[in-house]
Amino acid sequence: MEYKYIGKDAKRPSAVERITGKAIFVDDIRLPGMLYAKILYPKYAHAKILSIDTSEAEKMPGVVKVVTGKNIKHPFGDCLHDRLPMAVDKVRYIGEPVAAVIADTERHARAALSKIKVEYEPLPVYTDALDAMKKDAVLIHEHSEKYFYVTPLYKPTPGTNIAITYEIKKGDVKKGFKEADVVVEDEFNFHHMSSVAIEPHATIALHHLDGTVEIWTANVGPFAVREQVAEFFGKNISDVRVHIPHIGGCFGYKSDPGIEPLVAYIASFVPGRPVKLRLTRKEDFTSTFIGRGIRARVKVGATKDGKLTALEETLYLSTGAYADTGSNILIVAVQTSGGVYYFPNAHVKGYSVYTNTPPVGALRAYGHPEAEFAIERIMDMLARKLDMSPIELRKKNYITDGKTNVVGEKFKKSDGDLFKCTESVLEAIPPKVEVKEDENYLYGVGYAGLIKAPKAATFASKGCHIKFNVDGTVSLNMAGGDVGQGLWTVARQIAAEALKMPPEKIKVYNEIDTQYSPWEWQTVGSMFTFQGGNAIIRAANKAIDALKRNASLVLKRDPDMLEYDGEYVYDRSYPDVKVAVKDICRGYVTEDGTTIGEVVDVTSYFRLPGVQGPDPETGMGRTGGSYTMGFQGCKVKIDKRTGKVYIDHFATSIDVGKVIFPKGAEAQVLGGVLMGIGETLMEEVRFKENGEIANPDLIRYKLPRIEDLPGKQTVKFIETPDAVGPFGARGLGEHPMIGVAPAILNAIYDAIGYDFKEVPVTQDMVKKVLEEKGLTVKDKEE
Amino acid sequence: MQSITVTINGEKKEIYFEGGETLLDVLRDNLYLTGTKYGCGQGACGACTVVVNGEAVKSCMVLFRRLEGAEILTIEGLSKNGELHPIQKAFIDADAVHCGFCTPGIIMELYALFTKNPDASEEEIKKALNKHLCRCTGYLPLIEAAKIAQKYYKESIGKEV
Repeated sequence: MEYKYIGKDAKRPSAVERITGKAIFVDDIRLPGMLYAKILYPKYAHAKILSIDTSEAEKMPGVVKVVTGKNIKHPFGDCLHDRLPMAVDKVRYIGEPVAAVIADTERHARAALSKIKVEYEPLPVYTDALDAMKKDAVLIHEHSEKYFYVTPLYKPTPGTNIAITYEIKKGDVKKGFKEADVVVEDEFNFHHMSSVAIEPHATIALHHLDGTVEIWTANVGPFAVREQVAEFFGKNISDVRVHIPHIGGCFGYKSDPGIEPLVAYIASFVPGRPVKLRLTRKEDFTSTFIGRGIRARVKVGATKDGKLTALEETLYLSTGAYADTGSNILIVAVQTSGGVYYFPNAHVKGYSVYTNTPPVGALRAYGHPEAEFAIERIMDMLARKLDMSPIELRKKNYITDGKTNVVGEKFKKSDGDLFKCTESVLEAIPPKVEVKEDENYLYGVGYAGLIKAPKAATFASKGCHIKFNVDGTVSLNMAGGDVGQGLWTVARQIAAEALKMPPEKIKVYNEIDTQYSPWEWQTVGSMFTFQGGNAIIRAANKAIDALKRNASLVLKRDPDMLEYDGEYVYDRSYPDVKVAVKDICRGYVTEDGTTIGEVVDVTSYFRLPGVQGPDPETGMGRTGGSYTMGFQGCKVKIDKRTGKVYIDHFATSIDVGKVIFPKGAEAQVLGGVLMGIGETLMEEVRFKENGEIANPDLIRYKLPRIEDLPGKQTVKFIETPDAVGPFGARGLGEHPMIGVAPAILNAIYDAIGYDFKEVPVTQDMVKKVLEEKGLTVKDKEE
Repeated sequence: MQSITVTINGEKKEIYFEGGETLLDVLRDNLYLTGTKYGCGQGACGACTVVVNGEAVKSCMVLFRRLEGAEILTIEGLSKNGELHPIQKAFIDADAVHCGFCTPGIIMELYALFTKNPDASEEEIKKALNKHLCRCTGYLPLIEAAKIAQKYYKESIGKEV
């Protein structure tokens, strides 16, 4: 099919604002009478608060109010209401707000913090789920049985630190292992990391004297912020208004309400005055969401000719101090535990366990990199045991047409062609290394499959509002956050195609405001192109139908006898009989001024069809709805002297159905792969035994720089049209990160014959292995 | 309060401040030149990069009181007479503007590099860009933009009014 606007490069609508310093981010906003807040954090990661004395702080210059958590009536949340905006009687992690000072300047607020006196009774600290699950472990939430949960899926286990337990049972796993000739089992550990958008979190909140609340924040879930803040204060949802200006990157941790309820709580003590809280980089690490943190114990069985027979797995998520968002991460990890492979029998159980770290929240592709790391590593181990090529073993077991994943969802041809993805990666990086070793380096190749659904709540939906202007141009309004992924560009291209008009005639929104924007669940889970794109097509069709109804009054033809080309509506048999769109988009003004017809101003929504919650007994069900699959591979070289791992070449091939914005799609892969390299080789939020974070800054927490780029990158898209996606397109944003860690670790094994089972794998860890294996070379002494 | 005189984006100004502020603090909070961004406060991310006396500096690491008489250029001063600077144009043409938060700092880095050395080698360009963190692009679009920027910049030399 020939398309006029999609699949072609386009200019990003927001680019000029962003390169001239004119794009307004939250911290760029100043409101009249604005006050500033600074937060006091605890000395301990887990402790009872015995007393707080704010009297000295209140006397400090510029201080307007000192706030503690004692006025908090109840916890808040989305699926499990276990969260507090500020500590009440105990602290559960090192970045938990204990008190806040509101002052005329940030400097005055900061100065007063040191005058607040807090007495604590320290409690044991757990940073690993396995420790927190021990029988004698102290409870982090003493009364989790009192928490509200939306469905029993999110029900905590009282008397333990287990927040949620989720289990899936497919087929008969015992029988599966009986049929197996070979069984492999092992444990894998994906450490915690941080999203680290270059823009740290910031929020402004203002309680108006009429009882309404206004919030300005960097969050891709403005409607979730609105709902949770309204619920926390017992207000009408319609009385909370959330503005989203430009967002300086998200990568996950700006997608659930995080600091917004905190700032709204603080600002409630100074009604009529806006209060801004902007986090330092250190606070961004210690007191917002972190990500990952999953251990997986995996056992797989296969026949001697490489047919998978069974999967048995237990996952442990160290979910941090609050489990609300982590619950969904655990659920997704369990549901994706089989990766791109068909297991006739599976039994997978997961625990999300309270620990004394910052709460685990969304981080690009959450649940998937953790679970697929385990399965993709163990596939290589299994291949070795079977004496089979890891590629052949994978291809034998791909979920293909008619087969089901571990939750029982049946795959169709239109879900994508994993074989083509595999072939195009192998073309770029052949599975055999010509030279395995030279004087300085050891070489290896490794591969991994990847799969991800546009995961969401079953009711998640996106909206599109199309307003035709009287000059025939269109204003397009949605609530998807453009955090750099190019969403506004994609929206404009899809609208241009659907409305048959050049993108220049379509003005895309550039800020989100819950007062005007159509409702959208959250811009998460690689859903926007898929759901938002379909919402655009639906709205465009609705608008075109309205234009045809108007034209039918003018041209005296039945609407279905009319055609629309973006500029005119015309009689399909006599195209000269036509009326211009601009003359009928607000109705049609007849000669004497009488106006007929309707105003062309429409809104449509789209959600994934038929997605369901898991069955309470078996954990099974159509929980994904749509999937994007792909394959990744890399060639590494390892410096024998230093242990440094260099990525010589990284290749990614993803079946995206249809590429809408080629440069944007390619950059999503480049950025995602590099973030994946970061989490594989350098990035980790490291906890000391006392629960403090050892590296809460950008000097000790290493983010990939230009010097860390692979020597070469290959990006290939396969286009097997999706049955539901707009113009056949599927989601892409998070996927490029999923296969990176296992591909690199599989390549490291190929190079040095050692199985790393955790990430990140640091240079020191590799060096130690090289020394143990006698693979190092020492520089000759002069 | 104390004051010093500096030239910011071509305008000579006497600026009052408390004493301990960094250049970044003064730009953002006193002068409301918010195109310069705070990303880490430790000179690690480069988002706060501006040009001082022709050199790219991380404004979060410079005490403002040391800048008496300095010439400071920020992203707001780069486009002139409603025209984008050639480096800015290059970033659009290379599709290198993603979330846009690190972009002003990177553009100022390249401005300092190319005004000092229009013929900077690819290695020198990469070395300059290596001072900056970007989480969106995977850097390759930035390298591409920098190369186009160098071309546009060289073409523009001598054409300025």
